[in-house]
Amino acid sequence: MKKHHITAIIFLALAGAAAIVSGASFLAMRKPDIIVPGPGVSEVVMLSNWYPQLKGTPGDTEVYILGKGNPGASMLVLGGTHPNEPSGHMAAILLIENAVMTSGTLYVIPRANASGFTHNDPQEGAPQSFTIQTPNGPRVFRYGSRATNPVHQWPDPNVYIHASSGQSLSGSETRNRNRGYPGRENGTLTERVCYGIVQLIKKEKVTITVDLHEASPEYPVINAIVAHPKAMGLASETVLGLEMQNITIGLEPSPVNLRGLSHRELGDFTDTLPVLMETANASQGRLRGRTDEALVLTGKDKWYVKAQKLGRLYVPYDENGHPLEERTGRHLAGITELAFSWTLENPDSALEFTGVPAYAELQEKGLGAFLRPLP
Amino acid sequence: MSQEFFIFVVMVGVFAAGTFALKWPVAVSMLLASVAGALAGGFGVPIRHLVEGTFGYVDTILTIATAMIFMNAFKDSGGLEALSAATIRRFHKIPGLLLVLLTFVVMFPGMITGSSSASVLTAGAVVAPMFAALGIPGVEAAALIAMAGILGMIAPPVNIPAMIIGGGIDMPYVGFEIPLLLLTVPLAVFSAFYFGYRFVKKTDISAVVRTLDTKTLDQYGGFRLFSPVLIVLILMVLDKALPKIFNLGMPLIFVLSTIPAYFTGKRFNILNSAKTAIEQALPVLGILVGVGMFIQIMTLTGVRGFIVVNALSVPPALLYLAIAISIPLFGAVSSFGASSVLGVPFLLALLGRDQIITAASLSLIAALGDFMPPTALSAIFAAQVVGLDGYGKTLKKLVIPSLILIVWALVFIIFSKQIRTLY
Amino acid sequence: MTIIYLGILAAVLALVLWALVTSKKPSFQATAAMVIVPLLLRLLLIK
Ligand SMILES: [Zn+2]
Repeated sequence: MKKHHITAIIFLALAGAAAIVSGASFLAMRKPDIIVPGPGVSEVVMLSNWYPQLKGTPGDTEVYILGKGNPGASMLVLGGTHPNEPSGHMAAILLIENAVMTSGTLYVIPRANASGFTHNDPQEGAPQSFTIQTPNGPRVFRYGSRATNPVHQWPDPNVYIHASSGQSLSGSETRNRNRGYPGRENGTLTERVCYGIVQLIKKEKVTITVDLHEASPEYPVINAIVAHPKAMGLASETVLGLEMQNITIGLEPSPVNLRGLSHRELGDFTDTLPVLMETANASQGRLRGRTDEALVLTGKDKWYVKAQKLGRLYVPYDENGHPLEERTGRHLAGITELAFSWTLENPDSALEFTGVPAYAELQEKGLGAFLRPLP
Repeated sequence: MSQEFFIFVVMVGVFAAGTFALKWPVAVSMLLASVAGALAGGFGVPIRHLVEGTFGYVDTILTIATAMIFMNAFKDSGGLEALSAATIRRFHKIPGLLLVLLTFVVMFPGMITGSSSASVLTAGAVVAPMFAALGIPGVEAAALIAMAGILGMIAPPVNIPAMIIGGGIDMPYVGFEIPLLLLTVPLAVFSAFYFGYRFVKKTDISAVVRTLDTKTLDQYGGFRLFSPVLIVLILMVLDKALPKIFNLGMPLIFVLSTIPAYFTGKRFNILNSAKTAIEQALPVLGILVGVGMFIQIMTLTGVRGFIVVNALSVPPALLYLAIAISIPLFGAVSSFGASSVLGVPFLLALLGRDQIITAASLSLIAALGDFMPPTALSAIFAAQVVGLDGYGKTLKKLVIPSLILIVWALVFIIFSKQIRTLY
Repeated sequence: MTIIYLGILAAVLALVLWALVTSKKPSFQATAAMVIVPLLLRLLLIK
């Protein structure tokens, strides 16, 4: 055997070994989190129930229904639209594991982009999961990607053209669930999931839709509610209610010229009142330092502290960071307050639940106290 | 010294030692620098992270590989040479205009696709022999092609860095056409004259015309020989104009255009031609893979945040200097990476100016990343299509025009509001 | 479209492999081996 054949075999073997080791790690991401339905869950249905074409695709995802058939209003909570924004995902899970409806119906989709939970964004160095300690042992949750997995939707076009408006965005936004509304039958997987959610909203006549997000601390719309004009009244009541609890939150109107987002298109294309909430997540930011599980859980980051001192951020940021409890608590407080404000104005069509940890309670006891033991 | 700074020094040190002292291939040096960075950051040898980083460039790799295969097939069919002969025969009486027109020709694929590599590897390769015939030396020709490539990437209708920067603050890609034309067209005309005019003026083009070898051209006829390039152009335009029907993407367009190249001119072995193309492209493909690892480890260990926050922490008076230095430097990763990681925070730091013009100007500066080693896609490919051995001399020629480009972009940022009133 | 692109990717991967095994330069082979990894994992729809 010639020398260059030997080196060729060595390099091929190294490449093969790297592919096997990393491939095993990538494939492990396909296993979904375990969510333990609480006493309030009446039924778990797949999204394909409302749009059968999704059945068997990586976009199909669980819809947890709480208080099915109750009289009153209904609310849809979307967690995990962007799987690299864990507070929305965790808030949805806490609702599923704790909330009990006293009037009205709650639909919770904790993995609104199920495909996005199966991979991480290249060059972001994100952890694949994070662990929360509970009195009954650790619970592990996925930290995913902002976008649909390219394995499920590839290639991206050069330019993403939003179907119903013709707006251009960079090609990678094709896989962004929150640029795909109102979705498209027979479109990309991302558009089909959006379409499925729109079908659910229409069929079940969902009164309020809450899309839970996080944003990087340098992003101007943060610790905020973004509301469609139709939902502006409800959202401003909610902001007042939250401020009574000393939770500062901004109120932003949904921009008219930015298309494909839930708070714009769900309001334009369905009868639901859509709002979107943002908290501050350092682990998705551009200014962050070391990227690991601790950053996801605590939000402690020295570069964000420095950037705050430089006046570059849109949220307060100090050495205490913004822990996941705080961010999840903001979302839950927002959801609770939305339901409360709605019920106050519409007592005939109430939306009420119990069991959801209050903001202060969650800070004090931690997320683990409200997560159920694994079966 | 912060830990991040230490890791950064380790990574750059290993890379420099590997490339310059030990003469490893650039890709291997990037890989080992990434491993060293991860070790210094206490992450061990994170194979998953190293491999994951490379996926940022899978689509780019396909575009470059297929573009190289197409250009090699077109060259082997005799089309490339004949196209240059035909153009010079027709336009030799107006060399100054020809020069500017050819510069716009190089820009065209980048304008449609948003990729400087697409410009340089297709139109750049086509016009390179014409520049030679006009008397422009290889280094100047490569520099002009490289510059036209990045101006094409920034010129409308498709400017991906601007889309990325706008996307970071939820600003739609609307109303960018005029500012982008104002930014790029004057620079294109300037570059054509800066690099080429003094040579074109001196060259006796009628003598060039007399010595043109038009054997292949006469044998097959221009239309037949050039049809593969025409097919590329038509498909690119259709892709852009009718995205709902076509939406082929650059790699498929190149593959679809390579097949006819086999039938339109001289016979050649298509497999060998494709293999040669891949061999020529491989060092660049390897660099992309290595850079992907490098940036993933920089992000993982916090080096990226260290760089970004330090770039943002300069006093306001020096903000423009920070933009002028950090964005092109970080562009070594890729102009798209620099747009996202630095373009967005700088746009936020420049609130209060006309946002569209500011974002457009930042995208122009970000495009300079395609000149920045080790990736330097635009410069490497320009040197390659012209037939130079290395791209170092090409880069040196690009320094002054790049500085002018930066100043031009900064002027647009500083006077964004006044410029907005002009249209 | 995904199938077509996987086909293109397979062709590029095959050419890189061919170039690797016929090359006599270890430095070229090492670079080619690095390029193979992402192409292979995407072809197998793993990443
Ligand atoms: Zn989000």
